[in-house]
Parts: sequence; structure tokens; C-alpha cells
Amino acid sequence: MAETVSSFMTADHRACDEEFAQMENAVASDDWKLAQEKFDKFTLDLEHHFNMEEKVMFPAFEERTGMVGGPTAMMRMEHEQMRSVVDQMKGDLTSKNKDHFFGLSESLMMLMQQHNMKEEQMLYAMVDSHLGEDVSLVIQEMQGLEKA
Amino acid sequence: MFNQGLSLDQAPPASVPFRFFLTAPLFGIILGLLFFFYPLSAITDQYSPVAVAAVHLFTLGMLAMIIFGAMQQMMPVLAGAAIKKPKLFGNIVHSTLTLGTLCFSGGFLISNKIMLTIGAICLAIAFLTFFVTAIYLLFKVKFLTSTVNSMKIFAATGIVTALIGLYLAGSHISGDIGALHYNLVNTHAAFGLFGFGVVLIMGVAFQIIPMFYVALDFPKYIQNKIPIFVLGLIIAIGLFSFLDLDIYILKLILCVMFILFSVYGLNSLNNRRRPVFDVTLWFWKFSLYMFIIAMLNWLFIPQDGMFTLAVIFGFGFLYSLLQGMMYKIIPFLAWFHLSSSGHMVIPTMREMISEDLIKVHFFIYVSSLFFFIIAGFLSDIFLYIGALLFIVSNILLIVNCIIAVGKYNKIAKTNPMDAFTQK
Repeated sequence: MAETVSSFMTADHRACDEEFAQMENAVASDDWKLAQEKFDKFTLDLEHHFNMEEKVMFPAFEERTGMVGGPTAMMRMEHEQMRSVVDQMKGDLTSKNKDHFFGLSESLMMLMQQHNMKEEQMLYAMVDSHLGEDVSLVIQEMQGLEKA
Repeated sequence: MFNQGLSLDQAPPASVPFRFFLTAPLFGIILGLLFFFYPLSAITDQYSPVAVAAVHLFTLGMLAMIIFGAMQQMMPVLAGAAIKKPKLFGNIVHSTLTLGTLCFSGGFLISNKIMLTIGAICLAIAFLTFFVTAIYLLFKVKFLTSTVNSMKIFAATGIVTALIGLYLAGSHISGDIGALHYNLVNTHAAFGLFGFGVVLIMGVAFQIIPMFYVALDFPKYIQNKIPIFVLGLIIAIGLFSFLDLDIYILKLILCVMFILFSVYGLNSLNNRRRPVFDVTLWFWKFSLYMFIIAMLNWLFIPQDGMFTLAVIFGFGFLYSLLQGMMYKIIPFLAWFHLSSSGHMVIPTMREMISEDLIKVHFFIYVSSLFFFIIAGFLSDIFLYIGALLFIVSNILLIVNCIIAVGKYNKIAKTNPMDAFTQK
């Protein structure tokens, strides 16, 4: 079966979840050096995921449907909220504040999962159905985005 | 549909679910107090008026109260179904459910038909308002998931439970207890406990266990098939009850389904990806173990008055799980609403309620169940100890929740910009 936006992006969510769990594992075992590496990897992948949506998928969906202030605007807002939490976690890594880190990481995890649920259960299905045959082009373009 | 589901403005203000959550343990305290004011034999005999009052203090005042509060928050997120006027809706459901439960149970306790009538009317308003809205929203959802399907079964069985309940209340009020009364009571209980209670919990667990604990998904066949099978079995139990047929085979299948669900739930929690210790896991695991024990008890041990089974199933499984969920939802909502309204300096989820206090609450709660259960084998004196501990545990639950809500209220009253100007 051909790849859909739904299957491709859902797999990317799971990959980010995995990075997230590895980062938490490193902090839990007080390996701060490894934690920093895992954190960097996680934030790089998370940012790449956001970029795939914000720079490629959302504009394609908005252009096709004319829905500019709708679901994609809400998803962008939620991305901003997650970026802000990630930013605060960075400080806890530097100061090695484990308790505060886990307090934030728990909030981030709940935000991510809520957000993923909305995307996986609704938005991606809408994108697939609206983009039709252009789905593979959009996926290709998203895959081509550099991680930075 | 999609826009509504995602708009933050459409989610209820934090005060709405908080009010429902804080009310439930108050009913727990009233329920515990019953043990000290009424003969124990009346409480443990399932058909006595005192037992009917006690059961409804639990199912309406605690179970439905928490479920209704949580559903108002969950429907927009899990099902993309938002309630149009969340504050008004919350006010109507909360006030009528609270007053209705007090009057309904009070009516049974003091044999007062006027109170019973007021109670039944209030409960009719609460349940019909909630379920008509829930059914309208849930059956509109286009992209179906196992959780939405379970929620639909919950709403459908909930409305059947409520309608039969109203009919039964009408029989009590008019004094006209017909030949089919106890068949209807059994059907009412099956739809209420298994449909309204268990199916909803299963549907929510399918989403929440992987989401809260970064744990394995339930297998697809469990998610998709079990709730539908359970619905079929509940309907069959109702029919068998009217035909006076033995329901043992239905019980057996139902127990297998529920135990399968619990085993997969426990497996998922035990193999979760998050390494961090989380006290709410105690509530979830304890709950699922108690669910398995309750089902084995129901299946294999002859029941005299159902009291022990009711304690294991109602308190051990249902209430434990709901309390664990509240300890997750309240800190998250407090953090989420503050963070969304621009506050920068806020406690993290873990700083909202002290983990030690939650642990104390858990141990007292589990002890109360222990004493309730051993009372059946040893002495009634343990029922009093159990009831006292149950009251204390509910007080602790309120205190813990109020601590989080208090922190939320204190910060919510301030201007988010103060954080920048005070320095």
C-alpha cells in the first residue's frame, strides 16, 4: 500500500516518542552527558517534524482547502507551546535539576500526546483525503527537508 | 467539527472539571458516614433502602460525578467533539447531579417520597442533558477510533441505565413495585456498571495508558472487539434476566473479556517506556488487579449479599482508577490552562500535588478496602475501621486536589505580565 501522510507522519511521531523516552532514561540514570546528547537529538527531530508540517504540509493543505485560520493555525500554536517547554527543559539540563526536568517533561509528554492524537485521528486523515494524488509529492518534499 | 474540537476556547474552563472532581470525595465522606448511622445489616443487604441509597451515593455522587467531569474535558481532545456552552452545560449537570444524588439517596434513607421525587427529577435533568449532548456530539464524529466507539457505547448504555432508573424510581414513588421490578433492577445494574462504567473506562484506557505513560498500545482486536462484545453481553444479560434464564455462561464470557483487558493493561503499564516513578501507576495497577479479583470472585464464589464483591469492584477497581486519573488530570489541567494563558512562572505538574501526600492517601485507601473485605470473614467491627479509613482517604483526596486547585487559582488571578515587571 502506498505511503500516506497519515502513516508517514504517525511513524515520525512514534520515532519522536522513542527519542523522548531515551532522553528521560538518560536523565533518570543521572548520565547528564548522555542526557544532553539525547536531548539534542530529540529537539532536532522534533523541530524537523514541526518544520515538515509548518513549511510543507500545512501550506499545501491550506492552499487546497482555503482553511487558513482553522486546524493548522491551532496546530502551529501548539507547536509554539511545546517549543517553549523544550526551551525551559534546556535550563534544567544545564543546572542538573532532575525533579524540575521531570515535572516539565511530563507536561511536554502530555502536550505531545494530546497534539499527536488530534493530528493522527483527524488532521492527517483530512490532509490525505484533500490532497488525493498529490500526497506522495508532499511526502517527498517533507522527506527532502534538511534537519537543522 | 475539526475546528471546534481543536479550539482552546471550546474546551471547558478548568473550573468546570475541577468542580466535579472536588465534589466526588464529598459523597465518599457521606457514604463512609452511613456506616456509623445505620445498621450494618441494612448496608450489606443489597436490596434494602439503605443499600440502595449507599449504592447511588457511589454510582451517582462519585462515579458519574468524576466521569461527567472528565468527559467534558476528554470529548474535545479524544473525540474532537466540543460542547457549545461549556460553562452553562457544566453548571446544569453539576448542580442537578449533586442535588439529585442528595435528594435521591436521602429519600431512600428517610423514606421520604417528596425527596425521592425531587431527586429523580434532578437526576433526569442531569443525565438527559449530559447524554443527549454526548450522543449528539459523538455520533457526529467522522474519524472513528476505538475510544470514540467505546464512548458511543458508554453514552447509549448510560441513557438506557438512566431511563430504567427513572422508571424504577417512579415505581418506588408510586409504591407500585411490579412483578418485573427485580429483573429491571438487574438490567439497570448491568447496563450501568458494565456499560456506563467499564466500557467507558476501557475506551479511555485505550488512549490514556499509551498517552500518560508512553506505554504499549492495546492490541487492535482488544480495542475494536471487546467493547462491542461487552455491549452484546449486557443486552443478553438484560434479556436473560427477563426470561429468568441462568446467566452463568454470559458471566463467564464477560469475565474473560474483562480479565483479558486487565491483563493487557497491566502488561502495557509494566512495560512502559517512561522510566520515571509515577505514583498514579499504583492506582492504575491496583485497580486492574482488583478488577481481575472481582471477576474471579463473581464467577467462582457464591455471593450472599454482594457486599464484598461490591467493595472489590466498586472501590477496588472503579474508584481506584478514577482517583489515579484525577491525580493526573488535575495537575495537567492546572499547568495547561496557566501555560496557555501566558503565565511563565508556574509549578510543574509534579509540583502541583506532593507525591508523598498522594502516597499516604493511597495507603489509607487500600487499608480501608482491606478492612472492608476482611470484615466479611472476621468481625463487623472491621467495617467501622474500614469506613473510618475510607472517610479519611476521601478527606485526603479533597485536600490534595484543593492544594493543586489553590495553586492554580492563585496564579490564574495574577496578570501573566507581572512576571516581567516585578523583577
